[in-house]
Amino acid sequence: MAINTIQKGLRLSRRTLLMAGTVIGLNMMVPFSMAAGSDEVLQSRSYVDITSLDPANYLNAVDEDVMGAIYSKLIYFKPGNTWEWELQAAESIEQVDATHIKFKLKEGIQFSNGFGEMTAEDVKFSFERAAFGENPAAAADWGGALEEVEVTGKYTGVIVLKKPYQPLWNLALSYAAGNIISQKAYESVGEFTNSPPASSGPYIVKEWRPKQKVILERNPDYYGEPSAYKEIHINQIDDEKTAEIAFESGNLDVTRISMSSVQSYRETPPDNSQLQVFPSLFYVWLGINFENPKLQDPRVRQAIQYAVDVPSILQASYFGEAEASTGIIAPGLLGHRAQSLIAPQADIAKAKALLEEAGVSNLELSLDVLNKATNVTTAQIIQALLSQIGIKVNINQHEAGSFWTLGSEKAGERWKNIELILNRYSMVPDPYYATVNFITSQKGKWNWERFSNEEFDQLNEQAQAELDLAKRGEMYQRMQDLMEESGSYRFITHEAEPLAIRNSVAAGLRPDGRPLYRHFKPAN
Amino acid sequence: MWLFLLRRCGLAVLIVMLAVSALYLMIHAIPGDPASIILGPRATDEMKAALYIKMGLDQPVYMQLASFFGNIFQGDLGYDVFSQRDVTDIVLEQLPWTLALIFASVFWAALVGIPLGCYSALHANTWFDTLTGIVSVGTIAIPSFVVAIYSLLVFSVSLQWLPAIGAGEQGNLLSQLEHLILPAFAVGLGWVGYISRLVRASMLEVMGSNHIRTAKAFGLPSRWITFRYALRLAILPTVTLLGVGIGYLLSASLFAEIVFARPGIGKLIFDAVSTRNYPVVMGSVLVTTGLFVIATTLADFVNALLDPRIRAGR
Repeated sequence: MAINTIQKGLRLSRRTLLMAGTVIGLNMMVPFSMAAGSDEVLQSRSYVDITSLDPANYLNAVDEDVMGAIYSKLIYFKPGNTWEWELQAAESIEQVDATHIKFKLKEGIQFSNGFGEMTAEDVKFSFERAAFGENPAAAADWGGALEEVEVTGKYTGVIVLKKPYQPLWNLALSYAAGNIISQKAYESVGEFTNSPPASSGPYIVKEWRPKQKVILERNPDYYGEPSAYKEIHINQIDDEKTAEIAFESGNLDVTRISMSSVQSYRETPPDNSQLQVFPSLFYVWLGINFENPKLQDPRVRQAIQYAVDVPSILQASYFGEAEASTGIIAPGLLGHRAQSLIAPQADIAKAKALLEEAGVSNLELSLDVLNKATNVTTAQIIQALLSQIGIKVNINQHEAGSFWTLGSEKAGERWKNIELILNRYSMVPDPYYATVNFITSQKGKWNWERFSNEEFDQLNEQAQAELDLAKRGEMYQRMQDLMEESGSYRFITHEAEPLAIRNSVAAGLRPDGRPLYRHFKPAN
Repeated sequence: MWLFLLRRCGLAVLIVMLAVSALYLMIHAIPGDPASIILGPRATDEMKAALYIKMGLDQPVYMQLASFFGNIFQGDLGYDVFSQRDVTDIVLEQLPWTLALIFASVFWAALVGIPLGCYSALHANTWFDTLTGIVSVGTIAIPSFVVAIYSLLVFSVSLQWLPAIGAGEQGNLLSQLEHLILPAFAVGLGWVGYISRLVRASMLEVMGSNHIRTAKAFGLPSRWITFRYALRLAILPTVTLLGVGIGYLLSASLFAEIVFARPGIGKLIFDAVSTRNYPVVMGSVLVTTGLFVIATTLADFVNALLDPRIRAGR
């Protein structure tokens, strides 16, 4: 009776109802319709949602992952194991002197939606908008160095700098703020966030589903070879374990996995897939407050440095899959140190002797950490290690919102309470991006150890302007020496970027494992 | 009935306002600076100050609250400077996903739980009753995220019958239903146990009452007595439980949204609190508190409709 009423209401015959039921039932039995492994659609994953696809307003690395596929830059990172860039929209680019860079655009680069050819005017518009805009990320990529972009012809121009600024090559030109947008298209919409009015890359944004996914599709107006995939779906999954399940169930083609799963993926990778582990650009360190009354004696700080056994942390927190770091600049980058001044292994006898020399006993310290499993484990190892030299450590766990303002003088008085802090920052492949956080003027902002060294500050300025790469590299090495000598830093690791990749996919990746989506293609 | 309705609605508005204000004060009390979190390490002091003004955070907290409630009466939940979008749009985008999950969970839990409880009560102290008792208590005790993970491992990873992530294709009802099965199963499983236990207990109580005994004495058919007289009364506590349970379901849906990488209001609030994104926190909490209050008020109405004694205030 009830079913008859439903049928009548929906105007379905009994046969149709049965057929519908069968279709639904059968549909449940077949694997996920948007399953990965297709030559047409690439299913990828991002850990956060995009914030803005306007290069002058981008905020996170995922924004750049997408922008790298939909726009063109003068130069862009090459996929592979070494940090190199290649020409993209530029036919040629040349540093004429310390403050002038000449470029010539390739002819015939088209913006989608009929916004015409890319010209030097678009380059000027895009770069000046990013460099002089209000967005800290884009403006800081240009480091306050841009004077103007001089247009000398339809396709030619000169980037004029106020001061020599070498991070420009790895940061401003080849990263997010270096994406070139169409001036005409921008002016036609006024402003935009996640629906770019025009693209010049191999993909365009088909759809953005907030908190779900970004769908890129082949750009029919692309000037180069058509993109390998018809669509790329970048699914937003913040939890790594969920991403692993999605990968194992065939819903993803490529994803970062958790460090704890690396061993099992290495031994028994899911069907038709492989594990690739890349050195990441993150840097993790134990910060020791330079100004805290309990830690002002350098011997106490050094005792802590010597007591922390980095291999133990790598084993317990990173499952033996990450390497010890020698500083804040990762291997493969300019300025990386081959060795740290203090060996990664602990020297408990020396640590005890230093404490004794300083006349310190019964020291009790707090250690602030973000409430993530890896960080908490690391903190517990440090707690145990420091107890061996008689230092009692109390661990304070903080959620993200609270943790990321701990050292900020603008956010109250909590910066005064910092004694030990376990920290992790990310960077792009220019050493300046890392060292700039530790200059004196960053005290109370992002320099939470309140480290201050005149030579460090001077080197940070000089290295930005140094054209000789070898010299520049030495400067950054010296800066890391100074950080370590201050006793305020125990460098731990650069972590690792483990990726699970379907065998059917030839992934185009940066040396740190970040996706260059325009270079992804089917493996066969 | 009208007075009852008016009184309940007034109380509902007051509860929502108090809850949102309390949460706002609590978030302000805990440390965290939205400008540093949103703008990141490379922001200058001037940029942070400008953002504070844009977000209205340069005003005293009571002024911020007053302007928030002032705007609500004009239908405006505020503006999120982080994503540069209206909070109303953001919340309305996420809300349907959570509502679909909650309704699907409750629907299947009630569909299974009510007959199960009813049958157990009618066959009290039999092996079936004992078995459903054990299973029900077992399902209540298992946290929904554990159910979620195991159901994913079985149905997505091993069998590959159902999708592991997402909420389905836009405009494709079948795909959305397919994506709803596992999350709804995970969130609703515990409720099957709750509902069946509650219905069983209520049924046993009602079946022993005078009017049921009288009905039996008059020789009315047992099916008629069970469904027409007993179940109608026995279901009242379940209706209340479902109303109050919206709050619990909202928090359970957060786990489901994280484990299944689904969009939804729970994840929206979680992310917004982590980044101290005050406009989104306020807007989404207002909506979820409103939902909770509406659900409990609706449960009261349904109870009043089902039981004339409640209408009469007895």
